[in-house]
Order: sequence, then C-alpha cells, then structure tokens
Amino acid sequence: MNRFIILMFSNILCMACLLSFSVCAQESAIASESVIDAPAQEENRLWENLKKTWKDDIQVHGFLSQGLFSSSGNNVYGKSKDSVSAGLTEVGLNISYQALNNLSLAAQGMYRRAGATTGDAGEVTLDFAFFDLNFLKLQKGRIGVRGGRIKNPWGLYNETRDVAFTHSTIFLPLAYFERSRTLFLALDGGQLYADYNTAIGDFSFKFNYGWMDADDKELLGAIINDPTASGRFVSDPGFVTQLRYEILGGEYVFALSYASLDLSYQAMNAGDPYSKMVAHFDSFMISGQYNGEKFSFAGEYNLQWNKFSDIRLGVPDSSPISERWYVEAGYRFLDNFQATLRYDSSVRDKSDRYGRGLEAKTGGLLPAHLMYAQDVVFGLRWDITPSWMVRAEYHRVYGTAAISLQDNPDVSQTTKNWNIYALQVAFRF
Amino acid sequence: MILHFIKKGVLKNRLSMLLLCIALLLSTQAIEAVEVIVNANTVGRLKDSNELRAIFSLRTLYWINGERIKVFVLPDNNVVHKAFVKEKLGMFPHQLRRTWDRMTYTGTGQPPVTVGSITEMLDKVQHTNNAIGYIDRRIENESIHYFDVQ
Repeated sequence: MNRFIILMFSNILCMACLLSFSVCAQESAIASESVIDAPAQEENRLWENLKKTWKDDIQVHGFLSQGLFSSSGNNVYGKSKDSVSAGLTEVGLNISYQALNNLSLAAQGMYRRAGATTGDAGEVTLDFAFFDLNFLKLQKGRIGVRGGRIKNPWGLYNETRDVAFTHSTIFLPLAYFERSRTLFLALDGGQLYADYNTAIGDFSFKFNYGWMDADDKELLGAIINDPTASGRFVSDPGFVTQLRYEILGGEYVFALSYASLDLSYQAMNAGDPYSKMVAHFDSFMISGQYNGEKFSFAGEYNLQWNKFSDIRLGVPDSSPISERWYVEAGYRFLDNFQATLRYDSSVRDKSDRYGRGLEAKTGGLLPAHLMYAQDVVFGLRWDITPSWMVRAEYHRVYGTAAISLQDNPDVSQTTKNWNIYALQVAFRF
Repeated sequence: MILHFIKKGVLKNRLSMLLLCIALLLSTQAIEAVEVIVNANTVGRLKDSNELRAIFSLRTLYWINGERIKVFVLPDNNVVHKAFVKEKLGMFPHQLRRTWDRMTYTGTGQPPVTVGSITEMLDKVQHTNNAIGYIDRRIENESIHYFDVQ
C-alpha cells in the first residue's frame, strides 16, 4: 500500500509537469494555426448535430479463432499428446459507444474454451466493460480516466492476448504465462491514462488500480501442487502500470510495465490447511519491438518477485524470483505472408534454474523439468484477407514450466523433451 | 511455316508485355496521386505528415475547434490504402492495423470506418462533418477540401 501511495504521488507530479508543458505547446500551436473555412457555421452545425442519429457513434467488432494441436510428451489445450485436440476456441464480441465528444462506453463479452482449464463447455466472461472520460484534451495529447473492468497493460500483448490477430504466433511467449492469464488479464477498478505526442515520438501512460480475478484453479495448483484444496484465491487491491514509447507510428515500440498484486486464500471449510496463505507478486517487464516493412524483431524480459507466506503448517515461506525472456524475428515474404522464429526461456526460480532443488526437496516426486522451459518456435502466418487468417507453427520444447496442470494432472507422466504442432484459423471484423 | 508461327507468337507476347507495362505505369501513376481529403465544413489545418499520422493512428482525436475527427479508410489490402499509408504517413498498413486492433479489442478507441471503394469514400467524406479520408486522384468537388501535406 505504501508503495502504491508513493507511486501515485510521483505519477501525479509527472502529470502536472506534462500538463504545464502541453498547455504551453497548445497555446503556441493555436497562435500559429490559421483556420480554414473560418465562416462560422455554428447554427448549421448545431442543426446537423441534432439531426445526427446516435447510431453513427456505435461500433460493433468481434473475433473468433479455432486452434488444432498435436504434441508429443505432454498435453496442450486438451488431450493433444500423440493425438489431435481442437481444445482452443476464442470468441469475442464488443460494442463501443461514443456518447459525448469526450465520453465513451465499451464492453466485450468472451467465450473461451481452453483444454481442461475451462472444461469442454468453455466459459463465458465479461472481458471488459467501462466508461472512458477524456477530461483533458490537448493539442498534442490527452488525459483521462476509465472506470469499470479494464484490460491490464502489461508487456506488448497482455491487453489483447486472446485476440489471435494481434500476436505473431498461436502460443504467446512464455512470459505471458498461461497459468497467470486470469490473474493478469483485467481488473475491476480504475485507470488513469495520458497520451502525449512529440516530434521525437509518442508517449502513452496507463495506471490501473483495482481488484484482479484471482479465482483460478490453474494458478492455485501451480503454487500449492495440491489438487484437493477446496478454497480459492481472492485479490486484494493491486496495480498494473505501463509507460509506452512509440516512434514513427509504431515502427519502434518500447515499453516498461510493472505489476504489484496481492492475493489471499479464502478457505471453504474450517479445517482447510491453507486458510492463512497469502501470495504477493511484483512483476517487471521491459519490451522492445521493431516493425519494418519486411523485417520485424521483438524482445521482452520479465522478472517476477513472488512471495508465498503461511502456505500450510510445515511448509516454509518461499520467495522465488522468476525470469522469462524471448527474442523473436519475423520476415514478411509478402504483405500478407509472414514467417516467425523465436527463442523463448522461462525459469520459475532463479536460484533453482534446473529444478534440482525441487526434485531433491520432494524426493523425486516432482520432476526437475517443472521448473524451467526453453522453447524454439517456427511459425508461418497467412492473412488471406484483412478478416481471415490462418497460421501454423512448430515448437521444440525443453522443460515443462509452462504446461497446464489441468491438462497434465499426473506430473510424473510429464516429459522433458517434447514437440508441439499447431494450426489456427482466425476471423475478425 | 513453323518459324512464322513462332515469330507471330513472340510478337503477340511483346505486344501484350508492352500493354502490361503501360497499364502498370498508368496504375502506379494513379496511385502516386493519392490525395488527402476532408469534409468542406471541417475547421482545421495540418502542418506536416506527423500530424496526419497522429490522426490516422488515432492519437489526435479532435480538430482544433474541439470537434471529434471522423476517419475513413479503405481495406488493408487495397492498393490505394497501401500507397496512402506509405507515401502520406510514412508507415506500413500492418503498423496501423496493430494500433487499431489494440484499441478495438481493449475498448479504448474506435477504429476508423472502413469503406469498400473510392466512390464510397468520397461519398462518406462529403456527407460527414469533421470527416477525413483519401482518394486516388484530385477531382473538382465543392463539398471536400484537399490537404496538401509535405
């Protein structure tokens, strides 16, 4: 909480500086601008505005994707091991309404079916729903607030991680840990945002504060390795913030993201051994991306400080530091045909990189390869039309740090060296 | 006799190649003349391609008088769109799409309205207050203005 207050103050200070700069810039800009079509048509405009139907300001968009997976060694999105699984379906539909010049409303509903995590029937969720008030319009930028359920700006992809079109490969890099997807996805609370455009590039700042969705079996399972636990995690207020810098309309993108999240375990019955457990995450990510005409490059580095306290009687507190990073290169043979190559690495505990500690501690019950994963990915993507896309990829994986424990309930059956073949078709409008 | 046929074939090929070249030249000429247009009632002025880029990237949302800008575009794979993005914005269509998608699917902004043809673009910009778009040639029309951006 203390850290939040300090951060809040420093942010407000930054805002104030930004504001004073912008206002000066605005004044000088107005002075030097000459206005075309000066003859004021105030009356006309008023009449036009009255005539304008509200429908002009409503937009509806959506997306849909279906994946097909086959793997050796371990399951991904359903029973894909030595078989084929169609276990990943993502459908989203959103509506946005520009109610006033500076006030808008937006909401998105989502249906998602992702292997055993969601079950065969899948899950319907409210992905986001908020109002957006742009309270300060500047010549070179804007400042505003959003309130409701808001996507968390974390790294290059978290906000749109479920929209297939917005990332280069079917599987996101390991830094976008599938197990903490629910936790990082969105929060219920508020966002302060500021955009500022300069001659040397464009800055965007977002600060989200509120309650995450921590009720996720995948996350709980990863922390306590005990499928019999009946309780669930609840979130205390936390924040996710990002500063983004883009040059030449996004040819170069740089971002710094930081998240601070607190969870506590809510027991369902009196004898629950985990009833006092709390977890804290501080996660930092630095991102860089180049989007050229033919070539594209991306790299992200993530450090996460985890703290698990009072897990249960006899289990000592632990505070592992996770490290995840990747480098990726893409080449566009044609405007609509792209190849991607990525090296991806994930380590759950920097002080136990090879998992030997875990294996020794559990007497070989939990295999060492649960603690790390290295993944070499090669993918091809074809944008058939602006609305339809199909892509295929191959993963050579070493380690199982990123597998779903719901899809692979018996960890003794998991394999260190394995492959994934994936195919996906996606639609958007 | 056979030689005659071959020659005829070559000639025919050459003729079609020439026609193809002319057609290509004409089409590139047409694309080179992409013009940025705004509705005649629009109050405002653009100084450089940075400002135009900010409008199409949805970073500048208002004209100088505070009215909200209405942006119209052609589909991503349209040749005029590609030429416009490259020449007037100094960008590539996939960069714009990335920005628009992030706004669309996080609810933080409405993407430009995509029209199906130049005719529709002209019609929309003419009849929508505060609209901006582009066409592939300069035409005489009182209800639109041209933006000459360096």
